[in-house]
Amino acid sequence: MITRMPLIAVTLRGVLGRRRTWLMILLASLPVLVALLIRAGGGQPNATTILDTLLIRTVMPLLALVFGTAALGSELEDGTAIYLMVKPIPRWHILLAKMAVAASLTIALVFPVTVLTGLITDGRDALSLAEILGYALVVSAGGAAYACAFVALSAFTGRALILGLGYVLLWEGVLSGLLEGTRFLSIRQASLGLAAQVTGNVTTPPALDLATSAAILVAVVAGAILLGSMRLSRFEIRGSDG
Amino acid sequence: MTTDRTVAGSPAELAAPGASIVVDHVSRWYGNVVAVNDISFSLSAGVTGLLGPNGAGKTTLLHLISGLLRPSAGGVTVAGVPAWRHPAMYRHVGLVPEREAVHGYLTAREFVLLNARLQGVVNAEAATQRVIATVELQDAADRPINTYSKGMRQRAKVAGALVHDPAVLLLDEPFNGMDPRQRLHMMGLLRGMAAAGRTILFSSHILEEVERMADSVLVIHAGRLAASGDFRSIRRLMTDRPHTFTIRSSDDRRLAAALLADPAVFGAELGDGKLSVRTADFEGFGRALPRLARVAGISLFEITPTDESLESVFSYLVRR
Repeated sequence: MITRMPLIAVTLRGVLGRRRTWLMILLASLPVLVALLIRAGGGQPNATTILDTLLIRTVMPLLALVFGTAALGSELEDGTAIYLMVKPIPRWHILLAKMAVAASLTIALVFPVTVLTGLITDGRDALSLAEILGYALVVSAGGAAYACAFVALSAFTGRALILGLGYVLLWEGVLSGLLEGTRFLSIRQASLGLAAQVTGNVTTPPALDLATSAAILVAVVAGAILLGSMRLSRFEIRGSDG
Repeated sequence: MTTDRTVAGSPAELAAPGASIVVDHVSRWYGNVVAVNDISFSLSAGVTGLLGPNGAGKTTLLHLISGLLRPSAGGVTVAGVPAWRHPAMYRHVGLVPEREAVHGYLTAREFVLLNARLQGVVNAEAATQRVIATVELQDAADRPINTYSKGMRQRAKVAGALVHDPAVLLLDEPFNGMDPRQRLHMMGLLRGMAAAGRTILFSSHILEEVERMADSVLVIHAGRLAASGDFRSIRRLMTDRPHTFTIRSSDDRRLAAALLADPAVFGAELGDGKLSVRTADFEGFGRALPRLARVAGISLFEITPTDESLESVFSYLVRR
C-alpha cells in the first residue's frame, strides 16, 4: 500500500493534464446539458432515455476509454513507464494503481452527472432519489469495468484507444444489436441490465438479468486484472536496437 | 579476447566470487535478426565501459541485464538475482536509460522522491536532497523537468537512479547532452562510487569518455562480445596486429639498423626527425630496445606507443 500511493499520485498527475481534464468534464456534462436544453425548450426530459442512451451508451465508455488508456498506455508509449517498471514492486501493483486511478476518475465524473441529470429530469419516467442514487452506482460500476478493461488493453497494445473505440462503437454499438449472443460480452449490456433493475424499465429485447449483469462486470474486472498483470509481468521494452 | 576484472567464457569461469553481474551465454533475437549472440561475461566492482558501433547490441545487452528484455537463450543474474521477471533485483540496481523521456510534469525533486518512495527508501526526503546535491541540480530542483535542457534531464535521471544507493548502476549513454564540466563531475562521481565498491556498467560511443573513466571495457560488435578487460591488455593480445612505436634517440638511423637485426622487429621507418618501429612482440621489444641501444652506444630520448589508445584497439576489433 505504501508503494502504491506514489504510483497513484504520479498517475493522477499524468492523466489530469489541463486540456484533457476540461475536455472530459465537458464530455461528462453532456447529459446534464441535454436535460437542461430540453427543459429550457419547455419539454419534459425523460430520465432513463437520457441516462441509458447518452450516459451509459456514449459518455461513460468514452470517459473510461480516455482515462484507461491515458493511465498506462501513454506512459508505455512515451517510455516513462520504465521508471516504474525498474522498481522492486510486483508489476500487478502498478496495474492496480493505474486501474484505480482510471476507474476513480471515471466514477468521479459519471456519479455526479447521473445524480444531476436525474434531478433535472422530471418527465414521464421521473426517478426517485433512491433510484437516482442506485442508477449512479450502476453507472459507476459500469464505468469502473470499462476503465479496468481499457487499462488492461493498453498493457497489450499501443493501439488501445483505437481498439477500445472499435469495441464501443462497433462491437457494442452495432453487433450487439444484430447478434443477441454478443450481449454477454458487452459491458454496456451488463450496465443496462443493472440499470433496468433499478428503474424497473421493460425494454425490447429484455435487458440481462441482475445475476448475469453483475457476473459480467465482475468477470470483466477480474479478467482485466489477471490478463493485465500477466502481461505487465512480462513487460519488454520497445526499441532495443542499440 | 579477455583480460582481468571482466571474465568472459565458460560457466565455471563465470562463477567468479563477488561478481555482481553474470551474463551466461545470453542471446536475444527478433525473428531472424540476432541482436545479441551468445554473450558471456561477469563483472565485479569497478567501472566498465560498453563499447560498440551503432546497432552493435549495446542497448539490447543493457536491457537484458536490467530485466527489461527476456533472453531468447541463456540467463542474466544481477547481485545473485535472476534479472528477468524478478522485480526484487531492482533493490540492487539503478538504471539510467538512454531515452530522454521523463515525467516532464514533475519537478526533479518530485521525480527523485518518486523513485525513492518506490524503492522503499526509509528517509526518502533526505535521500532525495542528498542526490540532488550530488548531481548539482539544487537550483533547478523545483522546476518541472519539461523546462530542462538535455543535460539537466540526464542529471535528474542519474539522481533518480542513485537515490537508493544501488550496488549496481547501469547507464546507457549517460553523458549525452552534458557540458564538459558536467561530464567531468559525473565521471568523478561514478569513479568515486566504483571505488566504494559499486559495479558500474555504462555504454558510450565516445571513446575518450570510456578511456578516461573505465577500468575495463566490453566491446560488442554485431551482437557478439569481441573483447573484454583492460583495453591495453587487450591490445597486447592482438598478436596479429603489429605494435607501433615512435622513438627519438641520439642516432635514429643506426638504431633503426640495430633494431632491424632483431627478429621481433619487422619494420622501421625514418621521417620527420623520428624513428617509427613496428613489432609483433610488445614485451620482447621492450626488453630488446634498451639492450640494443646500449650496445650501439645510442641514447634514447623518447619512446611512444602510437596505437595503444582505446580508439586504436576499438577500430582493430570492429574491423576484424
